[in-house]
Amino acid sequence: MSSLEADVLVIGGGSTGAGVARDAALRGFSTILVERRDLADGTTGRFHGLLHSGGRYAVKDPSAARECIAENRILRVTAADCVEDTGGLFVSTPWDDPEYGDQFLEGCRATDVPAEEIPVAEALRREPRVNPDIRRAFLVPDAALDPWKLVWGCARSAEAHGARILPYHRVLDLEMDGERVVGAHVRSERSGEEFGIHATVVINAAGAWAGQIADLAHCTVNVRAGMGLMIAMNHRLVHMCVNRCKRPSDGDILLPLRTACVIGTTDVFVPDPDQTEIRQEDIDLLLDEGEKLVPGFRQARALHAWAGVRPLFEDTAKVAETRDVTRSHALLDHSSREGVAGFLTITGGKTTTFRLMAEAAVDAACEQLGGPRPCRTAEVPLAGSESHELYQISHRLAAREPVPQAEEIICECELITRSRLEEAIKQRDTTSLDDIRRLLRLAMGPCQGGFCIYRATGILHQGGQVDQAGANQTLLDFLEERWKGVHPILHGDQLRQARLDDWIFQGILDVEHLPV
Amino acid sequence: MSYDTVVVGAGLAGLTAALRLTEHGQRVLVVARGVGATHLAPATVDVLGYLGDARVENPASSVATLVASSRDHPYGHISADQLAAALDWFTTRAGALSYVGGVEENLLLPTALGVPKPSALAPRTMSGGDLRAGGRFVFVGFKGFKDFHPTLIADNLARARLPAPVAARALELELPAGRRVDMSGRVIAGQFDTENLSEWLITALQNRVEPDEHIGVPAVLGLRRADETWQKLETRLGRKVFEVATLPPSIPGIRLFDALASALRASGTRIVLGVRAVGARTNGGRIEAVDVANATGTVSHRTDAMVLASGGFASGGLELDSFGATRETVFDLPLIGMPETDRVRFAPGYFDAQPLSAAGVGTDDQFRPVDASGRPVYTNLHAAGAILGGAVPWKEKSGTGISVATGYAAAGAILAPAAQAVSEAVR
Repeated sequence: MSSLEADVLVIGGGSTGAGVARDAALRGFSTILVERRDLADGTTGRFHGLLHSGGRYAVKDPSAARECIAENRILRVTAADCVEDTGGLFVSTPWDDPEYGDQFLEGCRATDVPAEEIPVAEALRREPRVNPDIRRAFLVPDAALDPWKLVWGCARSAEAHGARILPYHRVLDLEMDGERVVGAHVRSERSGEEFGIHATVVINAAGAWAGQIADLAHCTVNVRAGMGLMIAMNHRLVHMCVNRCKRPSDGDILLPLRTACVIGTTDVFVPDPDQTEIRQEDIDLLLDEGEKLVPGFRQARALHAWAGVRPLFEDTAKVAETRDVTRSHALLDHSSREGVAGFLTITGGKTTTFRLMAEAAVDAACEQLGGPRPCRTAEVPLAGSESHELYQISHRLAAREPVPQAEEIICECELITRSRLEEAIKQRDTTSLDDIRRLLRLAMGPCQGGFCIYRATGILHQGGQVDQAGANQTLLDFLEERWKGVHPILHGDQLRQARLDDWIFQGILDVEHLPV
Repeated sequence: MSYDTVVVGAGLAGLTAALRLTEHGQRVLVVARGVGATHLAPATVDVLGYLGDARVENPASSVATLVASSRDHPYGHISADQLAAALDWFTTRAGALSYVGGVEENLLLPTALGVPKPSALAPRTMSGGDLRAGGRFVFVGFKGFKDFHPTLIADNLARARLPAPVAARALELELPAGRRVDMSGRVIAGQFDTENLSEWLITALQNRVEPDEHIGVPAVLGLRRADETWQKLETRLGRKVFEVATLPPSIPGIRLFDALASALRASGTRIVLGVRAVGARTNGGRIEAVDVANATGTVSHRTDAMVLASGGFASGGLELDSFGATRETVFDLPLIGMPETDRVRFAPGYFDAQPLSAAGVGTDDQFRPVDASGRPVYTNLHAAGAILGGAVPWKEKSGTGISVATGYAAAGAILAPAAQAVSEAVR
């Protein structure tokens, strides 16, 4: 059995883990990251995509609000390619107490979140689909954040500084030397190979799964999983991140994300972060709340529904409502808590503050690695964001327009060209269409892969990445995986689309009878 | 204006019904929101491809088995003789496409993934792909045409379950220089019609195929002169050449639409697209006039009978709203095949049996939509095609077969109501 050595081993490939790996690598530590599935396949890839201004926390969680606005300012520069500067709008609908707006403004002032009340007419001019009966409106610097670009930007940046990023590597056990964690025993989920990774410090960045990792070192981390449901709607019904101006609750935010928009969210404790069942009543709740924000919402096409789990850290007493748990992060040094050295847990928090969490974790790790080294992640841009140019929805089209006939477009919804797809297949060295989806947003538009997935399968196979059986398998897996998010919200015109897809895959191509 | 029959829907079922009625001297009006599934599906007539998990060899006998166990299936309202007659009629009426096959045997044609798919009839431009006799095949793709992947087709076919051994390989050709990049099937088809792409293809293939190889190409051999182009390829190459259906838009399907629509227009039948049937004026359980909404208002067309061939969920004949209610969109007709539990409409696995998939209109043996007690909702309203409940056509591979058979039978019921009784022997 082979083994690897590193100063820092990071467990978890969400935004926190990728941020920790990048931070550690930038400080010159040899770093390895392991993730049981694909990067950003857990909470990070399943959140609504809001880069918080802090407005949502200004009243009830001022410290979280302060962190958010500070990180918001940093990420607009260092992760510019992941951020679309949509702006945010808080509106008082007829269901919301307009006087909450005063508390909101006061909270924003106290936490340094820029907020400005604008006339209702001005708000409706900017957002013509928003409920015309809103009574107050406030502008904040919310933005839309692309979680996959963010995590892959961190990973590429970490790799450029010598780190090794190992997706599809599951931690089977932590290796202990007495009361010290000295590494982990991992298994490649692709090859089945098992090996050890020795590290001076192991950082548990497994988010909602952090308790499971801590158990392996006989430490206790109480993280509860707060499941939130999101629905992606076809087209951008709104231009800005539109929030209800009230205490945060279910279905009160609708934000543009690339070519779609996303409504979120709900909040339900689930005993197992891997068990996130989408319930019809939660779907109905989001559609009803969407109707309050944008009348006619139920007639719009709903593309896809998914659930993510917030890691909610609670150190002591039980809390009934997950929204009352602080959204600030928790850094646990298990040497002071349980006498287990070489082992840190960083959990809680949210994607907006991932960089800050990483900084705190690596600061603590420095103490066990020979003394402080300065953090550079607030200044150094992520891979892909070196130009500091904020992402714009028109980027892919702008790249295409000068020579519209340059090459084939494989995914028309997301404007993905053949060369971009082939490059991604090579870069990821993957055989999974779902991995490619996360890298390029392949098949995430209105037809949900109805056209591009046959093409992508053919290209994957022709390039020699997979044999015929592998190509068939990834096509079938993709259809199954896609259906999980499609069927819970299927109605109206999107059912027409889905039925067309049934005709394409079953009626025309006859995928059910592929030899596998 | 007054009509003998107003047909709603310009898909295969609506056009079939309209053409048969027109042939019998009826004055027919076809109204539709747009073209139907002809533009999406291959132009094959798939009567029944699978019975459960079993691939069907003889559709006629398997249809009899199917309707014995599934009483609500659309084929349950049609006799074996009628089904055969419908296919014969269709074969002659769509003569321009020169259909090959029959109801007694399924052809096995390769899909664009290389799966052998059963079809009862196929245009002769496609029927040469029949895999049942085995042999050697070469699949030819065009670089830059993203909707056809010959390597995957060949590799899958080599491992397919087939009655005789099949060897298959792939060949990819560069289209002649100076052409547009990222051409759709429709653009390439246009170039076969007008720019002599066939000469290029013949030259490109001449020294690259073995004497005993059958040549499969994407189904893009033209819209107006495809049969001529195909004949030329076969003659000049001296080998079997066949088209393989691929992603929509379906070029052979458009040919089929054009053939049926021009036959209708030639006999004076109006086809009005871009309008929507929104209801009817009725009297004593009969439809007297159909209300059709166009861009400027609603027009009422007096008629003696009506064929509702507005399609299933894919075409807008059926609709599921966000509250979970399913309805037929013109008359709110009673539906069969509905899930037992109101809000469980879809199963979690993509390939699972889906509760809503057989939803649709139920009819009597004259294809008149019926209510729960089995009585016709309107005595002169008939339904045909994908709006009918009781079938899962994309799984059964029965969609075009149901459309042809029920369009034919609905027209027959209008022409001669008494002759439509189904013999118990078929049941």
